[in-house]
Amino acid sequence: MEFLYYFGDVFTPVSFGLLLLGTIGGLILGATPGLSPTMAVALLIPFTFHLAPVQGLILLGAAYTSTVAGGAVSAILLKIPGAPANIATTLDGHTMAKQGKGAQALQLSFLASAVGGVIGVLLLIFLTPVLAQWALAFGPSHLFWLAILGVTVIGSLDSASVVKGLLSGCIGLWLATIGFDDIMGAQRFIFHPALGGGINIIAALIGLFAIPQVLTMFAKGRNATNAEVIEVEKHSIMDAVREILRRPKALSIGTITGSVIGLIPGVGGQIAGLVAYDQTKKFSSEREKFGKGHSEGVIAAESANNAMVGPSLVPLLTLSIPGSPTAAVLLGGLLIHGIFPGTDLFDNHPDVAWTFINSMLIGQILMCIFGLYVAGLAARVAQVPQSVMAAVVLGLAVFGSYSVQSSMGDVYVMATLGVMMYFLERFGFSAAPLVLGLILGPIAEANFIQGSMIAGATDGMASYFLTGALNIVLIAIVIASIAYSVWMELRSRRYTSKEEIMA
Amino acid sequence: MNYVSLPRVQHIVASGFIAAVGMWVAWVSYTQQPAEAFLFPRLISTVFVVLAVWTFVKAILGWTKVGHGVSRRDFVWLLPGLIVALIYIFWAAKALGFYTAGTIAFFLLLSFYDPAPHGEAKTWIKRVIITAGFLAVMYGLFAMLLKVYTPREIFF
Amino acid sequence: MKHLLAGAALALMSLTGGAATAEDYPERPIMMMVSYGAGGATDFQARIVTMTAGNEDALGMPIAIINKPGAGGRVGWNWLATQAEADGYTLGAYNIPHFIAQSIKGGVEYSADSFEPIANWGADPAVFVVGKDSPMNSMEDVVNYAKENPGKLTFSGAGLFVGHHIAALQLEKAAGVKMAYIPTKGGGAAAMKAVIAGDVMGGVNNLSDAFRAQEAGNVKILGVFDLERNEFLPDVPTLKEQGYDIDNASVNFRGVMVPKGTPQEVIDKLAASVPEMFKNSRVAGKMKAGGSPMHIMTREEVQAMWAARQETLQELLAGL
Repeated sequence: MEFLYYFGDVFTPVSFGLLLLGTIGGLILGATPGLSPTMAVALLIPFTFHLAPVQGLILLGAAYTSTVAGGAVSAILLKIPGAPANIATTLDGHTMAKQGKGAQALQLSFLASAVGGVIGVLLLIFLTPVLAQWALAFGPSHLFWLAILGVTVIGSLDSASVVKGLLSGCIGLWLATIGFDDIMGAQRFIFHPALGGGINIIAALIGLFAIPQVLTMFAKGRNATNAEVIEVEKHSIMDAVREILRRPKALSIGTITGSVIGLIPGVGGQIAGLVAYDQTKKFSSEREKFGKGHSEGVIAAESANNAMVGPSLVPLLTLSIPGSPTAAVLLGGLLIHGIFPGTDLFDNHPDVAWTFINSMLIGQILMCIFGLYVAGLAARVAQVPQSVMAAVVLGLAVFGSYSVQSSMGDVYVMATLGVMMYFLERFGFSAAPLVLGLILGPIAEANFIQGSMIAGATDGMASYFLTGALNIVLIAIVIASIAYSVWMELRSRRYTSKEEIMA
Repeated sequence: MNYVSLPRVQHIVASGFIAAVGMWVAWVSYTQQPAEAFLFPRLISTVFVVLAVWTFVKAILGWTKVGHGVSRRDFVWLLPGLIVALIYIFWAAKALGFYTAGTIAFFLLLSFYDPAPHGEAKTWIKRVIITAGFLAVMYGLFAMLLKVYTPREIFF
Repeated sequence: MKHLLAGAALALMSLTGGAATAEDYPERPIMMMVSYGAGGATDFQARIVTMTAGNEDALGMPIAIINKPGAGGRVGWNWLATQAEADGYTLGAYNIPHFIAQSIKGGVEYSADSFEPIANWGADPAVFVVGKDSPMNSMEDVVNYAKENPGKLTFSGAGLFVGHHIAALQLEKAAGVKMAYIPTKGGGAAAMKAVIAGDVMGGVNNLSDAFRAQEAGNVKILGVFDLERNEFLPDVPTLKEQGYDIDNASVNFRGVMVPKGTPQEVIDKLAASVPEMFKNSRVAGKMKAGGSPMHIMTREEVQAMWAARQETLQELLAGL
């Protein structure tokens, strides 16, 4: 209960002002395409030079929380996921926005984010020592199986055909191998100089999701406005709260998946949203509504990606190991004030540690309040005429992908992947499994190579990858996941083909 | 939607192209050195080729169930926008500078796809105002707030 | 002027003047490329040492950091050597021995001749770490284990052809043993995690990161790969003291360079003012607080260091 003692520090005028600033700034930065939470936090570090350690960390903590949630705004309204965490949000969120339910989608996403986020931070407060052990338990072989578990999700994710889903995943896995291989330093598939650095995941996300969107709008031609205009439905916040409460299953699956996966160093945030979305879909009684603007999809994805925020800091705060790129940036923010995470932080600077954690808790709630306020206004974006929308999204895609690392190569990659994806989509492929392959490829490969090197020097491949309780549990989940997908596929095949013809 | 049969030829061309890419990836993976670095690509490309060939065969037999292809009408409308976008991204953005090229591309695309009548002065004033607003937001966000150093050749 | 304007009127204004002359340099903000990701040690230190660039007694213009991470730094240095403009407004951070070792190994578009050094700001030696519960308490224990179990002692480091790998090679050569070096993806942090979690038996890591991990009670530091003991770790002996003939070839020197072709007057101006900028007391304070050892060297000293390193590494890597 030590954290309660330091709550007062969050509410001093300066601290609270910074908290507000961080939250609002974070929402804006998060909603900007191309700006991932990592970059947003890195951009704010110089400001903390001039602040006391506690205040600097309040700013960074608030910004981290709200950029993750802010990413949902562009994901829902423009179908540009700001970061890998928001990919799953586009699947149902953007469809809702197109149906005029943008306000509802945004409200649900902020409420779900707040619930997931608060629970995530509470886990950080109460279970840190236990969680730290759990985070360390994942060695190369376990991370490899975890990535394979992610791959098994590919087939069933947002695709009408399992084979095409898997093929999209394979294309993604291949794209991820392009560039210098990080461990061996060998060059692979670099057929154009822009690919030297490999495919940047943020640039790829923008291209794969935003460009097909733009081209689809082009293909519709010079539409008379009345044919396409969408009434933005007003949606009261109370209704959104009620909707969330009606969906406890999506909310709890999202929150649990997000917290558990967020904890694991090096994997966490990127896949939490997608895995939670897929699990919720599998357990839902309204499975067929997913991808067509179903509220459960938004709730699961957003509660998962904010639930991950708290646990993802556990390895950093207790063991001084940054488990994610954002945690690495936060580490810089701590070091600059001479504070070393680890036992030193909680023993010698409890005021800094607990005020930082408390500010994330309050930050989640402030983020929700501001988000709900913005939701009503922002949802009007759906009313923008198609010609304007197409041009705006194209411009944002170009500026956004360039700003990731000031590289023209990323813009070329973004455009090429985007145009390719448009045509692939016309033939039944989809972007989500492809992106999942792109994210999981490097995790699976690096851990497989590292694991096999360790295994080669010690007790051999079979015993390293196949024995041990955690390995066996993960392998069992992988097999169950595959079996489930095959079963669902066989069961639904009989009538989907008929449906396709009628569709 | 409609009852039009799926464009079988398009499916054959598309899946054939993917299969060809898969074959190329497999060929590169199995021939390039060092072998350790290509272990993972070999694994992937094998699965890739199997799935791609399967899809290709299905397309030839006309068994493809999903995907509606690109209709002629869609393609005719798509082409001008696509060409402007590609010129903007692959040439103009760097040669003319991000803001100049972005503004020109924005204005061209907006004017082309805007259903409002082209003959009226009011339409054009509206388009210019929207473009100016877009430029202002972009400049404010990326150049002033985020300090991104974009290529700037001709103007600012 | 641009502060006043927002909108289409901007399109009419031109900002670029004539060719820059050395007297006016710098007349606009400078960017510095860091070939590692945001939050890494190089990025973190680069941001600190350049934070006073805008002061009148330094360059008078701020330096903005741009990250181009990937493939152990190769992506960023390739970009700096081939695509960056050599006009003095594009600087790069270097990591020795990384980029020299990579250029000797081949497959990249740069060598030590592609760049002009400006000044060095830091030197971070590699250290050997083991988990806090490890039975090994000195380098002798490590080497004895490796002698009894050839090729079975697993130890982590941040990739191939980086400082950690050089240190590992030197250790194997000097002690005459065969060990299993496990390169990790994700830099020193991932390599350190592998040691703390017990995935590997030991590891080579940065002194600054290892110092922090030792303070947190997670690891033991057994030796420093440098010529002298380090002020952060006065009790940890060097490898040389423990009887292994290992010099400072693996020490990670960090500093500023520019692409070849940058005007000589600009280089001279930078070479004169940048080391002074590093000496700023605020910079020194922040670096010390972050546990980052500083080591300021002028352009001439860096040139000598690069040449010496080129020679040692060529010899060491010849057999690979």
